[in-house]
Amino acid sequence: MAKIVLTRNPFIKNALKSRYPQLAVFIVMLVGYIFAILAGLIGTPVGSHNFSIVFVWIAWWAILILVAVPFFGRGWCAVCPIPLPGEWLQRGAILAPPDKKPKWLNLRVPKMFRNIWLQNISFLLLALFSSVLLTTPNITGIVLAAMLFAAIGLSTVFERRAFCRYLCPVGGFIGLYSQTAPIELRIKDKQVCVTCEGKPCYNGSSAGYGCPWDVFPGGLTKNTYCGLCMECIRTCPHDNIAVNLRPFSADLAKPSTRMDEAFKAFIMLGSAMIYAGVLLGPWGTLKDAAYNVGSSAWFVYAIIFLAIIFVILPGFFTLGILNTKNVLPLKQRFASLSTALIPLGLMFWVAFSLSFVLTNASYILAALSDPLGLGWNLFGTATTAWQPMLTTVLAPAQTLVLVGALIWSARTAQKAANEVKVSSIPVIVYSLIVTSIMLWLLL
Amino acid sequence: MTPRFSLLLFVMAGLVVAFVPLPVPPIAPQERTFRIEAGQFAYSPSELKVNPGDTVTIQLVSTDVVHGLYVDGYDISIEADPGQTATLTFTAGKAGSFRFRCNVTCGAMHPFMIGKLNVGSNNWLYRSIGVALLAVVGVTLSLKQKT
Amino acid sequence: MNRSEFLSRIFVITGIILAIGAPLVFWTRTPLIHARMAENGGWNPDIIQAEVGQPLDLKLTSDDVVHGFAVGQMDMQSVDVLPGKVTDLTLIFDKPGIYTFFCTRWCGLNHWRMRGTIEVSGSSADPEPASIPMYVTLDLDIDAPHESPVVPQQIPSAIRGQELITNSPILQSPDYYRSHSPYQAFTDLSHTTLAEPQRWDVVAYIWQSNTTPESLANGQQLYAQNCAACHGENGAGDGVFADDLAASGEASMQTMTGADNMMMQSPVDFTNPTRMLGASPALLQGKILRGGMGTGMPMWGSIFTEEQIWDLVAYIYSFQFKYHY
Repeated sequence: MAKIVLTRNPFIKNALKSRYPQLAVFIVMLVGYIFAILAGLIGTPVGSHNFSIVFVWIAWWAILILVAVPFFGRGWCAVCPIPLPGEWLQRGAILAPPDKKPKWLNLRVPKMFRNIWLQNISFLLLALFSSVLLTTPNITGIVLAAMLFAAIGLSTVFERRAFCRYLCPVGGFIGLYSQTAPIELRIKDKQVCVTCEGKPCYNGSSAGYGCPWDVFPGGLTKNTYCGLCMECIRTCPHDNIAVNLRPFSADLAKPSTRMDEAFKAFIMLGSAMIYAGVLLGPWGTLKDAAYNVGSSAWFVYAIIFLAIIFVILPGFFTLGILNTKNVLPLKQRFASLSTALIPLGLMFWVAFSLSFVLTNASYILAALSDPLGLGWNLFGTATTAWQPMLTTVLAPAQTLVLVGALIWSARTAQKAANEVKVSSIPVIVYSLIVTSIMLWLLL
Repeated sequence: MTPRFSLLLFVMAGLVVAFVPLPVPPIAPQERTFRIEAGQFAYSPSELKVNPGDTVTIQLVSTDVVHGLYVDGYDISIEADPGQTATLTFTAGKAGSFRFRCNVTCGAMHPFMIGKLNVGSNNWLYRSIGVALLAVVGVTLSLKQKT
Repeated sequence: MNRSEFLSRIFVITGIILAIGAPLVFWTRTPLIHARMAENGGWNPDIIQAEVGQPLDLKLTSDDVVHGFAVGQMDMQSVDVLPGKVTDLTLIFDKPGIYTFFCTRWCGLNHWRMRGTIEVSGSSADPEPASIPMYVTLDLDIDAPHESPVVPQQIPSAIRGQELITNSPILQSPDYYRSHSPYQAFTDLSHTTLAEPQRWDVVAYIWQSNTTPESLANGQQLYAQNCAACHGENGAGDGVFADDLAASGEASMQTMTGADNMMMQSPVDFTNPTRMLGASPALLQGKILRGGMGTGMPMWGSIFTEEQIWDLVAYIYSFQFKYHY
């Protein structure tokens, strides 16, 4: 399937090249983000009626996992407000061309942290506390504020968007799953980049800043670490950057060999299954254990959680691919074949979120009219009663998503297996088993 | 077989697995009564099993704060205060597995206070796993064909 | 600095100031009365000032679960206080004094501790003297056991009693009913020719004739909303909190005197004839009025009106007697 170059359209191209449309969205997002922090801290402690919980964990989450990631990859990162204050501080400007001299420390992130293990850890930290985080407005407010300040802090110490690239708990999985998205930012002609002097897309120029994501666009082959910030479109003196519409999961044809990314796939797959069981299952003891952070039951829960993610899921996977006679080291086969779990994990999250979001979407209307729980009725929807939506199509939709995920994953497994010259059957059987478990948890 | 024809075959087989009606052994409808205790944030018992057509009576007993019980798919609900048992009677006309959940905000984990009502066996789950199996076989065979 | 940079900064800073300022301004200007489970603080604030004749506007919200709001001894419909929502309420007091407001929807074992006061200032035209409860004038020790040494073999029936009763006006007077236990009435009937089961039936009739269907219905409703969670929907002392109460034992709040013989107890079983037939309405009124002083039984004196308590007392006896209605 051919790619469609979206930036060939002058309207799209100008909208991306100009800073103003993005800035307008940024300001709205930043205002909303700060309002969410405040709502969490001073609004009603009842999560289902507080803007912070309802807009972050129901509305934003629904848009992110059901629309943004599957269709736009890192599209969210393109408008995310978290790095902005830090970045503006780092540059000493919002729009103005960069200075020659760095304003702050501008250090390089140490080599040992230049991977997504910190993101894996930050995601797991939030995941272990998720029952409290998802339901308690002031915890959500504190976490949102902490991310904002962490981003500001890292911007003053390190160069570029260190928070987004190496620490953001959300950025890790968005990056992993953005490989499946039908949107990509790529160079048009490799030769142009080779001969390009000064590489302004990476180093910055009077037209804009060097890649905030520490990526040289000329070398882009995957979406994983490209934040779609559009800076390189503005800086490229040769008009060599394009945003393309492409087939889904194009990046997965070139399996990664990185262990941090391989484990990210397991973390996300496992978390989706655990959430489906704990949050949507009928087992009260599990919910109690997950909620009562610090209790002995919670420690048991945390250990089981981590064991499923780091031992059980990767363990069986390794057992499955152990027997294949192959000259390539196991580690490489493990990393490559785990690519099959990327579409599977994304769709697990979609199936899980469908249930959670459709059940609770009616809270959005009520919270819109009374975001702080102060008795307002801004849009006349404050009294909207809780009512699950589309309950009859939920189960068929989940089946469709999960079976689709399985086919997608099996296809991906075949490509990855081809790459490392092994049989894809063990990985496909593995995917079938976890999909069946997920079906059992959700249906 | 052309690839297109085999794809069509698999899609047809999938539809058969998903939707062909099974012979249902006739079971005389019964009256069933369940006493469900609701406390933060669980129902006890949390899984109910009835046959299609049964007349189901749920006595909801709250053991700490005001709780509700809403049945997905049936769109019916009741609310019970501690000390005031609430009763809900309905005919389990739709077969399948349905979640029931608290619909009266009862604390932090309220959105996840969930139980399950199984009306007959959970056929949709078995059909879904069947379709998944079929899909996997289909994908694997299609690769064999190519090579 | 060029113009676009300057304007961008203005927009960003205005946005941030609005995002922080606007909610803070509205938040500080909305005085809400927060309801939380008693363990987490109960009402906040729990003392409200008001003036006689002046409307008192209240904005009530719950921070956790469903609560309710009503003012004791006042003719008002209780309102629900729902989590994350605001209930507006306007009260007008026509007499000064200290009123008790309380939670009307069960919200845990300590639901009844969720109380606060409204201090209504102003001058009163006619200060009413507080009435002295009957258990005080009768000099009843309401903490001592009052057991009935004999109990009927079957449930006494007011219907049978009505057929049996000879005209004895003394026994039927409200004062007699309130100050005597069923057992005392039973002994007072010993001079008659009636057999023991028949005497119990007559007692049942006397008790029935001192109440009305309306009173019993009112008592039943009060009982369901306020008592059943501990004493059980059928009066057997097996309400949903009974086990928790027994288990909390000494760990509960200390008694007024610090005595540990009055720690939390299992709720009284109203179906127990030994206990109930030995208790007079005045004694039960006293128990409800004053509460258990540390046993877990709340003090209802500042909440129920005298009439409501008599209705409740009448209803409680219906666990012992079969009434005509």
